[in-house]
Amino acid sequence: MSDPVVELRGITKRFPGVLANDEVDLTVERGTVHALLGENGAGKTTLMNVLYGLYEPTAGQVVLDGEPREFGSPRDAIDAGVGMIHQHFMLSDPMTITENITLGNEPTKFGGLVIDRDRAREEVVALSDRYGFDVDPDARVEDVSVGVQQRVEILKTLYRGAEVLIFDEPTAVLTPQEAEDLFAVMDELTDQGKTIIFITHKLGEAMASADEITVLRDGENVGTVAAGETTRDQLAELMVGREVLLDVEKVPSTPGDVVLEVTDLGIEDNRGVRAVDGVSFSVREGEVFGIAGVDGNGQSELVSAITGMHTVADGSVRFRGEEFTDRSRRERIDAGLSYIPSDRQEEGLVMRFDLVENGMLGSQHSEPFARGGRIDWGAATDHAESIVEEYDVRPPTADTVAKSLSGGNQQKFIVGREFSRDPALLVATHPTRGVDVGSNEFIHERLLELRSAGVAVLLISSKLEEVTGLSDRLGVMHEGEIVATVDPDRITEEQLGLLMAGEQPGTDLPRVEPTPTVGEQP
Amino acid sequence: MSLRDRVRAVLGRLVAASPTERVLISLASLVMAILVGTVIILVAGRATTCGAESASYYFGVGFCYDPIVVYDRLFLGALGDPLSAGWDPFNRQLAITLRETTVLLFTGLSVAIAFRAGIFNIGTQGQMVVGALATAVAVLWASPLVSGAVGTVLLIPFGILVGSLFGGLYGAIPGALKAYADANEVITTIMLNFVATSIVLYLVSGVFKDPESFANQTESLPEFALFPSLLYDSAYGFSILALLFGLVAIGVLYYVLEQTTFGYNVRTSGLQPRAAEYGGVDAKRIVVATMSLSGALGGIAGAVYVMMVLGKFQTGVPAYGFDGITVAILGGSNPIGVGLAAFLFGVLKSGTTVVQFATDVPRQLIGVLRGLIILFVAMPEFFRLLGRRTMGPSRPKNEGGATATDGGESETEVSTDG
Repeated sequence: MSDPVVELRGITKRFPGVLANDEVDLTVERGTVHALLGENGAGKTTLMNVLYGLYEPTAGQVVLDGEPREFGSPRDAIDAGVGMIHQHFMLSDPMTITENITLGNEPTKFGGLVIDRDRAREEVVALSDRYGFDVDPDARVEDVSVGVQQRVEILKTLYRGAEVLIFDEPTAVLTPQEAEDLFAVMDELTDQGKTIIFITHKLGEAMASADEITVLRDGENVGTVAAGETTRDQLAELMVGREVLLDVEKVPSTPGDVVLEVTDLGIEDNRGVRAVDGVSFSVREGEVFGIAGVDGNGQSELVSAITGMHTVADGSVRFRGEEFTDRSRRERIDAGLSYIPSDRQEEGLVMRFDLVENGMLGSQHSEPFARGGRIDWGAATDHAESIVEEYDVRPPTADTVAKSLSGGNQQKFIVGREFSRDPALLVATHPTRGVDVGSNEFIHERLLELRSAGVAVLLISSKLEEVTGLSDRLGVMHEGEIVATVDPDRITEEQLGLLMAGEQPGTDLPRVEPTPTVGEQP
Repeated sequence: MSLRDRVRAVLGRLVAASPTERVLISLASLVMAILVGTVIILVAGRATTCGAESASYYFGVGFCYDPIVVYDRLFLGALGDPLSAGWDPFNRQLAITLRETTVLLFTGLSVAIAFRAGIFNIGTQGQMVVGALATAVAVLWASPLVSGAVGTVLLIPFGILVGSLFGGLYGAIPGALKAYADANEVITTIMLNFVATSIVLYLVSGVFKDPESFANQTESLPEFALFPSLLYDSAYGFSILALLFGLVAIGVLYYVLEQTTFGYNVRTSGLQPRAAEYGGVDAKRIVVATMSLSGALGGIAGAVYVMMVLGKFQTGVPAYGFDGITVAILGGSNPIGVGLAAFLFGVLKSGTTVVQFATDVPRQLIGVLRGLIILFVAMPEFFRLLGRRTMGPSRPKNEGGATATDGGESETEVSTDG
C-alpha cells in the first residue's frame, strides 16, 4: 500500500550554533496518522516548519506527491495542500466561526466586491457536516471552548484545501475528553483520505492515535515503527537513547516526625466562595503524601494556603509542631519550605529575568546569595549553572532569559531550584508537567531521593500514574474536601475515578489514617 | 500573515535590543524628529510673510524661518555654542541647561524608581513642593546657628536631609494607602499634588511668609546656605556640586537596583507581582518603601530647587515633577538613561529661549518641535513596552500543559508517559 504523500529527503536545518535537523528522512503514507515523537528540543517542530514553508532547509528536499517542491512561505505550502494547526490558535476572537474559517478566502459576489455571507456559511456547514464536526457556524470564537476553537482551526485548514494536516502538540491545551474527541476527528479525517502528521512528546498519545511513529532524537531520525508493533518501553528507549524506567521503583518509606499538620482547614477563594472545607491531614519526614482530584476541586487553594500565598478562613497549619497558619511567605521559605507552583510563568519564574536571577528567587534574602543586603552575583551564577547542568536545562547557559526557554525546560529549572533548597517540606504541584520522558524519570528519582533523605513531600498532580506511583498515602479531593485517604498501591483506578467524581465506591476501599502520629506505618 | 510576522519580528527585535542599540535607536529617532520638524518649519515659514531680505532660500524658494538656524540655536545655543572659537564652558546658557538637567534628574529618578516597582507615581510634583518648603523653612530656622563655610558644609546636607525626609513622608502616604487600603496610586498621588499645592500656599501666605514681600514667598536663604556656585557665576542659579550630587544619586540608585536584595525585590515586584510574592517578597513593604524612596528623591529635587535655583521658597514651582514622568519614560526607567534624558530635556528647555531670541519663530512652534523630539525618542521605548505586552502572553499558550482557556473547565493531562 505504499503511496507516500510526503517525503522528506535528507533535511538538514542549521541555526547559528545549533543543528536542529540532521539529514532527516521521513516518509508519510497517504491516509494515515503519522506521529512525530521526541523529547523537547529534538527538532520535531523545526522539521515540520520546514515542511510548512516557515523555514528553508539548509540541505535536503521536500517531495510532495512525488514532486520535489520548494516552499518560500506557508502560503506556498497551503497552496500545495499542506496545512498546520498550531498550538497557539490563529483565530480572531470577536469574529464568528464562519468568518474565521473563510478569512482571507471568502466567497464573493457582485464581481468580487462583496463577501457572499450566505455562501460562506453554507460552505462551512457542508464542510463541518462532511467530517462530523459539531460546530455552530454563527458562534463567536471567544464564546466557544478550546476544543471547539481547535476544530475551527482544523476546518480553516481544510477549507483552504489541505490534504496533509500537521498538528503541533494538539492535546496540550485540551481536557482529556476533548483529546479523545480530537483523536476521533483524526480518524474521521484519515478515513476520508486526509493525511495527518502529529507532533507530540507523549508516548501514550502517539501509541493511541498513530498508525506509524517516527522518533526524533537530537535532530536525527532514530527510527520509524508501526504503532501496533511497538511497546512503550521501546519507544521511550528510542526517544532518550537509553533504557528508561517508566515505573518508578519505590522502596518502602520510613516515616519520621510529623512535619506538616493541617487541621480542619477552611479556605475561601478570591470571590469569597468556600473552596476548601474541613481538610485535615499530616505529612511526615520521609514520606510522600499525594493529593489526587480533578483540577478545580480546591487543590490550588489548599496549596496556596499551605505555602503562604493565600489566607486561611479557619483551621490551622502547623509546621514541625509550630503554629504556621498566619506566617508570611518569607518565614515559611526560611523555615525550609520548597514549593513547585503549578503556574510556572506567573509564579515560578520571572519571565524577563535570566536564569541567574531566577535561580535565587525565594532565596534572595539569605546566604550565600545575599550578604548584608548585597547580592553576591558570583554565588548566584554558580548556583544557576549547577541547576542547569544537573537538570539538563537547554540551552545550557545561565544567562538565558527565562522567557526564551521552552515550557519543559522552565519546569526543569524550577524543579532543580526547589529541590536544591535543602527543604524540610516540599510542596510539588504537577512537578513533571510538560517535561519529556527522560527528565520525567530524573525528576521522579530525585523526588524519591529527597524522600529517602527525610524530606516530607506533599505531591499534587493531575497525572494519576504519577500520584499513585510516588505517594505513600493518597488523599482524594472532591469539592474542597478530602473524601478519602487511601493506600495508593492497593487502590484500583476505578475506585479512584469514583472517589474523584465524588462517589463512594463500596466498602473494600484500602483506607489509611490521614493524620498518623510519629513513625506509625501506613 | 507576513505583515503580522514582520511586525512581531520588529517588536521582538526591539524588546531584545542591547543598551548600545537602544542608544543608537534613540539617536536615529532624534534625527528623524529633526527631519520631520524641518518640514514643519519650512511649511510654517512659507505660510507667514516676511521681508525678502530676512528670508532664507533653499532650492530657489524663500522661507521665513530657517530650520538650520532653528536647530542650531536649539541644540548648540543651549550649550553656549561649543563649536565656535573661544567657547567658554562656564557660559550662561550652558549653566541654565545644566541647572534644568540637575533638577529634572532628581524628579526623573523619583518617577523611574517607582516605575521599576510597577508603581505610577504621578505625585513627584507634590513631593517636590513639600520637600522644597520644608527645606526652606528648616534652613531658615537653622541658619542663625551657624555661618560661613562651616554653615555651608552643615546646612546643605541638612537641607537635603529635611527635603528628602518630608518628600519621603509625603510619598509614603499614597504608598501606605496602596499597600493597606488598595487605593490606586495614580488617583491618590494626583489628588495629593493638589493637597500639597494648597497647603503650601496656605503656609507661605501665612506663617512662613516673608513680611517684606508682596509675593507668597519665604525670606531669602542666607548666601552661605546655598549651593556654592563655584565655577559658574552665582547669577545663573547653577552649582556643579549639585550636578555631581545628582550623578552620585544615579550611581547609588543603579547600585541599589542591580546589586542589592531590595533592588531585586523591587524589580521582581515591578515585572511580575505574583512571582515576587512567590519568592517571599513582602509586597506591601516594597510598595511603601519604594514610594518613600521615590518621594524622597522628589523632596531632594525640591531642596535643590530651593538651595540652588531660587534661594528661597516661592509658590508656583515649575512643573519639574511632571516633566520627570517624561524623563523617566524617555530614560527607560534606568538610572543612567534618566541621566541622559534629563540632559536632553535640559537642552530643549534652555534652547527654547535661545531660539526665541535668535529667530522670529513663534513660541508655540518651538513647543511643537520640542514635542516632536520627545515623541520620537520616546516612541521606541513605547514600542518596547508594547512588544513586551503583546509578545508576553502569547508564549504560555505555545507550551505544553499551560492553563486551558476554556472558561474554567477542569484540565487534566491525558498523558500516559508517567
